[in-house]
Amino acid sequence: MKRPPKLAATPRSPAVTIDEGVVLAAGGQAEQRIAVATQWQLMWWRFRKHRLALGGTFVLVLFYLVSLFADFFAYTDPNESDAQRSLIAPQQIHWRDDGSFRPYVHALTGARDPLTFKRVYVPDPGKKVYLSFFASGEPYQFLGFIPMDRHLIGVQEGRAGDSLFLLGTDLQGRDMWSRLMYATQTSMTIGLVSVALSLVLGVVLGGVSGFFGGMIDTVIQRIIEILRSIPTIPLWMGLAAALPAEWSVVQVYFAITIIISLIGWTELARVVRGRFISLKEEDFVMAAELVGCSKSRIIFRHMVPSFISHIIAATTLAIPAIIISETSLSFLGLGLRPPAISWGVLLQDAQNIQALVISPWLLVPTIPVVVAVLAFNFMGDGIRDAADPYL
Amino acid sequence: MVAYIVRRLLLAVLTVWAISVLSFAIIHLPPGDYVTSYIASMSASGSAVSEGEAIAMREQLGLDQPITIQYAKWMGLMLQGNFGMAMEWGRPVSDVIGDRMSLTVVISVAAIIFTWAVALPIGIYSAVYRYSILDYAFTFIGFIGLAIPGFMLALIVMYIGFAYFGANVGGLFSPDYAEAPWSWARVWDLTLHLPIPAIVLGISGTAQLIRIMRSNLLDELRKPYVMTARARGLPEYRVILKYPVRVALNPFVSTIGYLLPYVVSGSIIVSLVLSLPTVGPLLLKALIAQDMFLAGTIVLLLGVLTVVGTFISDLLLMWVDPRIRLGQQ
Amino acid sequence: MKLMRAVRVLASLGLAGAFAMGSVGAAAQTAAPAGAPKIGSSLIGKLQGPEIIRDAKAFPKTFKEAPTLAALVKDGKLPAVDKRLPEPSQLFVVKPLDQIGKYGGNWRRAFTGPADHENGNRIVSADKILTFDYTGTRIMPSLARDWKVSDDGKTTTIYLRKGAKWSDGKPLTADDFIFWYEDIYLNKNIVPTPFFEFQIDGKPGTMRKIDDYTVAFEFAEPYAFFVYQLAGSTAIGAGLATRGAFQNWGGAYAPAHYLKQFLPKYSSEEAANKKAKDLGFDNWVSLLRNRYSWALNPELPVMTPWKTVSPINTPTWAMERNPYFWGVDTAGNQLPYIDRITMSLAENAEVANLRAIAGEYDIQERHMHLSKLPVFLENQKKGNYTVKLDPGLNGADVALHVGMAYDADPEIGKLLRNKDFRHALALGIDRDQLNEAFWLGVGTAGSVAPAPDSVYSPGAEWNKKWGVLDLRQSNELLDKVGLTKKDPEGYRLRPDGKGRVRLEMVTVGGQFVPYTQVGEMIKQQWKKIGIDVDIKELERNLAFTRDNNNENQIITWANDGSEVLFLFPRHALPVDAAEAHMGIAFARWYASKGQSGKKPDDPEMLRAFDLFRSAFGMKEEDRVKAGKELWKIIVEQTWSIGTVGQSPAFMGVRIVKNNMGNVPDRQTNAQHVRTPYSSQPITFYFK
Repeated sequence: MKRPPKLAATPRSPAVTIDEGVVLAAGGQAEQRIAVATQWQLMWWRFRKHRLALGGTFVLVLFYLVSLFADFFAYTDPNESDAQRSLIAPQQIHWRDDGSFRPYVHALTGARDPLTFKRVYVPDPGKKVYLSFFASGEPYQFLGFIPMDRHLIGVQEGRAGDSLFLLGTDLQGRDMWSRLMYATQTSMTIGLVSVALSLVLGVVLGGVSGFFGGMIDTVIQRIIEILRSIPTIPLWMGLAAALPAEWSVVQVYFAITIIISLIGWTELARVVRGRFISLKEEDFVMAAELVGCSKSRIIFRHMVPSFISHIIAATTLAIPAIIISETSLSFLGLGLRPPAISWGVLLQDAQNIQALVISPWLLVPTIPVVVAVLAFNFMGDGIRDAADPYL
Repeated sequence: MVAYIVRRLLLAVLTVWAISVLSFAIIHLPPGDYVTSYIASMSASGSAVSEGEAIAMREQLGLDQPITIQYAKWMGLMLQGNFGMAMEWGRPVSDVIGDRMSLTVVISVAAIIFTWAVALPIGIYSAVYRYSILDYAFTFIGFIGLAIPGFMLALIVMYIGFAYFGANVGGLFSPDYAEAPWSWARVWDLTLHLPIPAIVLGISGTAQLIRIMRSNLLDELRKPYVMTARARGLPEYRVILKYPVRVALNPFVSTIGYLLPYVVSGSIIVSLVLSLPTVGPLLLKALIAQDMFLAGTIVLLLGVLTVVGTFISDLLLMWVDPRIRLGQQ
Repeated sequence: MKLMRAVRVLASLGLAGAFAMGSVGAAAQTAAPAGAPKIGSSLIGKLQGPEIIRDAKAFPKTFKEAPTLAALVKDGKLPAVDKRLPEPSQLFVVKPLDQIGKYGGNWRRAFTGPADHENGNRIVSADKILTFDYTGTRIMPSLARDWKVSDDGKTTTIYLRKGAKWSDGKPLTADDFIFWYEDIYLNKNIVPTPFFEFQIDGKPGTMRKIDDYTVAFEFAEPYAFFVYQLAGSTAIGAGLATRGAFQNWGGAYAPAHYLKQFLPKYSSEEAANKKAKDLGFDNWVSLLRNRYSWALNPELPVMTPWKTVSPINTPTWAMERNPYFWGVDTAGNQLPYIDRITMSLAENAEVANLRAIAGEYDIQERHMHLSKLPVFLENQKKGNYTVKLDPGLNGADVALHVGMAYDADPEIGKLLRNKDFRHALALGIDRDQLNEAFWLGVGTAGSVAPAPDSVYSPGAEWNKKWGVLDLRQSNELLDKVGLTKKDPEGYRLRPDGKGRVRLEMVTVGGQFVPYTQVGEMIKQQWKKIGIDVDIKELERNLAFTRDNNNENQIITWANDGSEVLFLFPRHALPVDAAEAHMGIAFARWYASKGQSGKKPDDPEMLRAFDLFRSAFGMKEEDRVKAGKELWKIIVEQTWSIGTVGQSPAFMGVRIVKNNMGNVPDRQTNAQHVRTPYSSQPITFYFK
């Protein structure tokens, strides 16, 4: 996927942060409250009004919890393969047993049907595998340093990896649920890391461009124009193919984030530049200059705080594009590659007809991608709408 | 005014030149060259290319020379209006691209029409009925397109079309018309095949458009003249459609210039999955085969279209909006 | 929390859809019955094919032609059929598999772009000088009517069909061979390095015209094997069409009357270059390269049964019957039966597969994925086609070729050159697992040795040798190698103290077999023997470039073609300087007779080299013996580790519409017989 067409992103169109203003409740008390509220409070009040944004934020918190505690949410080694449990469909969980709450799944026996060539798994009604929460299972390092073996879900007897397949398995018999947890970790952080890089580039270059103007501005604007005029895919392909083959998975990961952020910063730079240009004309900046404040003080003490919310909004809105980019890169075989696990890597396995027809559960990773992208967009919209409380 | 246009033109030329350098560099970034990829492909189909042959081929194609000279040669050809020979295709680049350009434009225009047809009504509605249930619902639907990876959507839509509606798999023509000369029947056949690619391609752009339309219109709706119109008792639909929507549309009209290159380069992956005979898959294959003339020309072409489009857009914008015209001087 | 509800609904919709679409639930009732036959056997039929008639007494005397051609004859636009065919005693006569066919029809197929010329080459390969019968074992005449190898093995003579004509009606004679030899092959501007097959012991062969219809290939040393080179898929023997499309000037003959116009010899350097420039080419060689390809140039006179009408560099690669084709069936009908072949461009293989499932192709084996077999089967009725499997003869669709000349990390290089280490790796692979996951259980697990019924097979026991899972022995061998220390995670440590033994396995994505995924599974399996391996998926160009620099420790690639060891050795032994996964340095050393490259230390490899080199001059019997001996060395030394093979993964999943006639139930699936050419597509017809 290329970045979506930036239709009205003409540099000179007014910043699109329009709002009807907080609907003021009649009565002086409320007015008073607004008058003394800090900028952040005002933003929060307004943000709360945006239901989609609030929902999006909630979802994202969940996603980042999963990212942070992927080891805990997964219940087995995401790389452990076994052909004898290849392509198991998501299991049905039976919540009640003998009238009481006691979730279980049926044990499965599988073989390949010699006529249809599909793997067929038959649940054995006699064999119940009881689930338990916060069960002990594979040991891991909680948060990277606390040894632990508790997982969100586990089975009461035996190893969870042998009998529990909440979201089914892939061709190699790897547990999709556990893979999805680790993929979430990778993909959600790739978004953050790349956007951080974009942010630095965008703010510095956009800020310089907007504040100083003149020749510097022209040069930077040209660079942005050139970068945006080149279709993304050749740029990616060139850069990704140029990565040294001997790089490890981690190095490739960071290289990919840099490649993706190369595209992302231009949009941020534009926002920042636009803000700088409009703020320069504001009375308070003029006043600061007259008082004799230093340039850096004007920028960081006066200007930056007044548009930081816009930057947050723009940043939030840049993340979903990065997430989609990651999946596209994987589709092209240029992004993260196995054994790394990301949403893109998982979707690569689903990008064929047999997945659609025989094992549609391999498409499940599409759902978190869609949900995360929507959530980021809604949250970003909410922040942006809320960013101009005094309007 | 004239000075401004001249300055912009000069800058545009400079930009195009920079793009040409950059695109040439990108294509040369991966290790190896066309001959390497040719050898690998021969090898995979059971043939072999000897070292001597590889050397001779590089010599014939001029790949043995330093990259700067290769670039100079390419530029020289370009300036003569010759885009070189597409290596893998054994045909002039202009022919190979020409074959696909018209269909690319047709699909892109169809996609743009779809995007606008969906996004503008939603944008208007959600600006007028802000924070209503339907605002949320429509916005949600509009954003879904942005959120689904295009390649996934393309594959799913293609499969569903085949399995449940008996549609042809991929492509833009049914087999009967694939080779046929142009006729009304063929145009009709093409029209029947357009919706799927147009929807898949167009849907990723709706969200952006909804968002911008909504905020532009909100901006307008707050202005005093709207209030005046309302106060005068104009019917609500006229109050909204007569002026505010038209004003809100202004920025869009000026973006038409570079819409096409955006859609074309945005459609590469989807075109590949749907097997559309457009320049997208062509570019992808040329990049893999490291066919620098073909890939370079397409990248440059898209770059030039963007630059020219932006230029036209800016001119249009100046023409439409005197504030900007003054601001530039 | 409307949003959350929406998300939940969306998520459950997706999941519900997932359940509804998969028929797992329904299929679950029909579990595999106990004692079922081997997976896949129901789809693998009896090997069968048409017969090439060699007894001139059995040849037909009267001839018929396709109605389309008869109409042209009637209009006076084409000579009568008996004027177009060779003399009756010189015909190429094929007895169709089931019955005499009907004329007409358009054979629809998929192709994936200008690089996919093999797709068509393999159908029209009748223009090879010699060929193999449908079993892939006996040499048969094709373009040449007959051949003779001198007693000393130094001369191979071929006899052409008197009266056979190019597709433009001009006669094919020995002069076309000499033109190719003198004006194309010996011109260093065109062919800079002589063909590997056209020399023996480093000494180039020559070509001589005996009379208008007799050509002799002569060598300084005995080269009894040369006749196999003429029959195989080699630069010299694979026919003008194929080798022209490969753009490497092979084929041993060329239409002199047409190509002379592009050669400076017949005009001047300036005139030839000007002609090229006018047509948009850099120089005359580039133009000739283009004009020499039947797939790119519809004007090129050919000897193939079909000729290109819409070239391969357009969205439809179309071919029409060659009115001068020199073959007939046993009833005297000029072949081919089918009027036209239309290949439509599929920008990616997934679309080609889906179109096949939709029944849009008449016969298609290329680009069909084994992994989609369940889907193909499910749609057989709806698409009105039948799925047939043609297992290959090569031992490994995925072979772990060990870089024997790898030296970038000397410690790892030393390990890789240790036979025990390679054996340990081989014994640490659970091949049944791989077979089940990636070959749907249809393949055969084992070493790299070819199918037991192939010519050079040293016997079925060699297919299992070092080709089974034996963790105990594997671990013992690794201990013996000296890798006794392990880290806390159970991985073995390097003897030089630089951490764990960490191998690197290079895989190439987007091929017929999912190399990367296979590699991932092997990585998991090698955990049990304490060997860590990084799977590195590289783009094909890059992987092969690294090969050529001896930078790959292990690369996974098929060993297809290795079943005909001497015709196509490069996947079995490092002897071909153009490609050698197990050490290009050694291959260069072998090919240059020690002039360049690196001499292997391994005495067994040197023994294999000697045996291999001497086999080309041997008589049939001795050569077969040498081949068997070579395979024993290859398996014992394990320069390549076999996994799963003898499967239909390579062009062996055949989708055949139910209205196609004379299509064999099973065909030999191999490079040297040019599958599907060995099934004589000229006899296929629409019922």
